[in-house]
Amino acid sequence: MKKTNNQKITIGLPLMHLECGEKRSFLPDFVRTLEKCDADVYLEHGYGVRMGLEDSAYSEITSRITFVSGREAYRQDIVLVLRCPSDNDLRNLRAGSCLISMLHYATQPERVRFLRSLGVNSISLDSIKDDSGRRLIENFHAVAWNGLEAAFRVLQGTYPKPGFFSPDRQPIQITLLGVGALGAHTVKAAVRYGSIPLHERLARENVPGVIVTAVDYDITNHADIMLGLLSKTDILVDTSARLDTTRAIIPNEWLAYLPDHAVILDLSVDPYQQIQGDNYTKGIEGIPQGNLDQYIFTPDDPIYAKIPGFVHTEHHRNVVSCYSWPGIHPKDCMQVYGPQLRPIMRMLLSRGGLNGIDPNGRYFERAIGRALLSNWIG
Amino acid sequence: MGVISNVLSAGHYYQIGLDNFIYQFQMEDRVSKKISIGFPIMREEPGEKRVFLPDFIRKMTEIGFEVFIEEGYGNSLNFYYDDYKNDNPQIHPLEREEIFKQDYVLILRSPHDDEFSLFGKNSCLISMLHYPTHPLRRKIMGKNNIQAISLDSIMDDFNLRLVENMKSVAWNGLEVAYTQFEKYIPNLIREDGTPWKVLVIGTGMVGKQAVEAASKLGRKERNNEHIRLGGPGVIVNSVGRNIASHAEQMIALFTQSDIIVDSTQRHDPSKPIIPNEWIAYLPEHAIVVDLSVDPYTPETIPPVVKGIEGIPHGSLDQFVFEKDGPNWEKTIPKSIPTKNRRKVISCYSWPGIHPESCMRHYGQQLLPLMRVLFKKNYHTLSPDGLYFERALFRARLDSFVKRKPDQKKI
Repeated sequence: MKKTNNQKITIGLPLMHLECGEKRSFLPDFVRTLEKCDADVYLEHGYGVRMGLEDSAYSEITSRITFVSGREAYRQDIVLVLRCPSDNDLRNLRAGSCLISMLHYATQPERVRFLRSLGVNSISLDSIKDDSGRRLIENFHAVAWNGLEAAFRVLQGTYPKPGFFSPDRQPIQITLLGVGALGAHTVKAAVRYGSIPLHERLARENVPGVIVTAVDYDITNHADIMLGLLSKTDILVDTSARLDTTRAIIPNEWLAYLPDHAVILDLSVDPYQQIQGDNYTKGIEGIPQGNLDQYIFTPDDPIYAKIPGFVHTEHHRNVVSCYSWPGIHPKDCMQVYGPQLRPIMRMLLSRGGLNGIDPNGRYFERAIGRALLSNWIG
Repeated sequence: MGVISNVLSAGHYYQIGLDNFIYQFQMEDRVSKKISIGFPIMREEPGEKRVFLPDFIRKMTEIGFEVFIEEGYGNSLNFYYDDYKNDNPQIHPLEREEIFKQDYVLILRSPHDDEFSLFGKNSCLISMLHYPTHPLRRKIMGKNNIQAISLDSIMDDFNLRLVENMKSVAWNGLEVAYTQFEKYIPNLIREDGTPWKVLVIGTGMVGKQAVEAASKLGRKERNNEHIRLGGPGVIVNSVGRNIASHAEQMIALFTQSDIIVDSTQRHDPSKPIIPNEWIAYLPEHAIVVDLSVDPYTPETIPPVVKGIEGIPHGSLDQFVFEKDGPNWEKTIPKSIPTKNRRKVISCYSWPGIHPESCMRHYGQQLLPLMRVLFKKNYHTLSPDGLYFERALFRARLDSFVKRKPDQKKI
C-alpha cells in the first residue's frame, strides 16, 4: 500500500464494539490532523457518541469526513482502532490494508496468526518504540493512577479499626510485583493514594502515608520472604511483565497469608488462556479478570465460578482488575493517545502509507518499523 | 504571539520571529554557506571525560552542518582528530575561542560564567543550563545576549524531557553502591541468606528508576548471576513525602536498611529531609546513595543544603566517601552537623561514570532535534511547529523568561 499524490489514502475509524463501559473514540482534534495530512477519513456512524460527541462535532471541524457503516470503516487503506477488534470485525479488513491497534503481539500469538492469514499488515500501538526502547504510545500513568484510585476506594471500606482515615493507623503497606515502566508509575501513584485530593487531605490530617515495597519477580522464588511480606500487605499490586506466563508469581495458596481486609490490584491484566495444551495464567493465581463494566470484585463475587478450571481459586480477597484501566476516564485517556499518535500518523501519511516507511529512516519511521507485523518474528 | 513567515526578496531571506522582529539572512547563509556548529571541550574536573562521539559528529555533517571541534576534542576518551575527521571535508579543528563563535555551540555541561562573553552575536548555545536552579547564570547569559537552548528543558507535549539520562543516574549510583558490598560479599549472597533491603526516598523520575536499579543490584548481569546462584534478591521500600516527614516510621525503616537512596526533589532545598541524627540509626555497614546531588550553597539566600544532612558532595573525581576518609568535610560548610556518618556514594554527574555509553545515549536523543535546528534557528522556532520543534521552543531561554512564575518550577 503506497499511494501517489493523486490517490488519497483512506483511513477508517470504526467504533470499538466491546463492553458497554468502553466509551473511547479519538477526539475531533485528532481526526482533523488526519484530514490535514490529506487523508480521506471514514468514521463509523455514532463515532464519539459514547463520549458525548455527536457526529456534528466531527463534521463541523472538517468537511472531508464521511460517516459510514462499521463494515465500511474496516474497508479502508488504514484502519485505526484503539483496542483490537473481534475476529468478526477483523474479517472485514481488505487484504493489503493496514490495521493500527493495541495488538500485543507477544502475548497474542493466535491473533498474530489470524492477521497474517487475512493478508493484512499492522502496526501495534504498544510496540511503537523509540531508539532506546521507550514506548511512544502508552498511558501507564492512567493505568497506575486509575487502578490505585479504585484499590484505595475499596480499602477505605475494608480497612480494620481504627479505620483508614484515622491518624492512629499504621502506614499503608503496598507490595508491588514488578519494577518496570508500569511499576515505576505505580510507585508514584501509590504513595499519593491514586488521588491527589485524598493525598492532600490525609497529609493535612497527619494520617500516616504509604510505604511501597517493590520486589522483582525473582524474589518470589523465596516463599519464606514472600509470605512474610504478604502477611503485612494492605494492597498487593501486580505490574509484572513475565517472560513465562504459564507460571504464576503468586500461587493461589499464598493468598491465604494476606490479611482479610487486603485488596489485590491487577494492573498487568494478563489473561487466562489455554493454547495448544499450554495453560497461561495471571501473575496472581485465581483472581478474576475485570473490564470497564465491572472492575471491583468482592470475595464472594459469582465471577469466581467462571474462571477456567485449570486455575486454583480456593483463596479469595477483594480484587480490583480491569483490562483497560485508562478507559475509566475516556476523554482524559484520548487526550493522551491523540497527541502521542499525531506525529506517527503524520509520518505514515506523508510517506504515502506503510510501503513508504523506511524502518531505518527518520525517528518516527524507525519507531513505526519496530511495530510492524511484517517485522515481528513469532 | 508573532507569526512566523518567510519572505524572499532581492537576494535576501527574511524570517519574522515570534517576537515580531524581522531577521535577515543573506541567501547564501541559508543556501550556499553551511550552518556551523562548534564543539568545545568541557573544562571540568579531570574525571569528566565526556565528548560527543565521532559517529554523532559525522551525522551532524550528514544533516548539513559544517562542524568545528576544539583542538584536542575527544582525547579524554582516546579519540583523536583523525577519528573525527576521517576524510570528511565538513569537519575542521579550531581554537576554543573561535568555537564559541559558530552558529551553534553544543556542549553538555554549561560553559563557565567567564566564557559567555566569548560567544558570537548570532551564536546559539545548546547545553544543560538548568534555568530554574541557576538564576545567576541566567543573568550572565542575559547580560551577554546569549541565545540559549537548555537541554534539560527540551520537553514534549506531556512535559517529559527528551534529552535526559535519569536511568544512568539511578543505575550508575546503585551500581557503585552494590560494588562496595561485593568487595567483601561475593555475588552479594550473605551467609545468613537474607535479602538486601534498600530504602528509596522520593518517587519522581529518578526515584522510579532507582527502584528498578536497586531491585536488580545496580547491574543486570550481576543480578542474573545472583539469581542463578540462588541469591535472595532485594526488597525495595519506596516512600514519598508523607512518610519521610514521620521520624518514627523513617527510623524504623532506617534500622533495617542496607542502602538508603536520596532521590528527592524538595520544595524547600534549605531544609534537609534526613537530619544528621537519623543516620545513627542505620546499621554500621549501610551505604548512603546521593542521587539528588543538590550542592551546598551557603552563599545563597536561603542557603541550599543536601537532602541528607552532613554527607559530602561528590564528583567524577571522587564519588565514594569512607566515613573516616580525609575528604569528608571538604565540601561541607562548617555549620552543617556531620557527627553521624556512613559510607556515602555521591556524584554531581552520575551519567559521566560511563562516558561513552552516556554520550551514545545523548547523541541518539539529540539527532532529531539537530535536524530541526539545521532548518530553523533560535528566533524562528515555533510553539506551533512539529513535535521536535515545539519541544525545542520550550527550551529557549526567552521561552523560560516569558513563562508564568508557577510554570517555572523544577
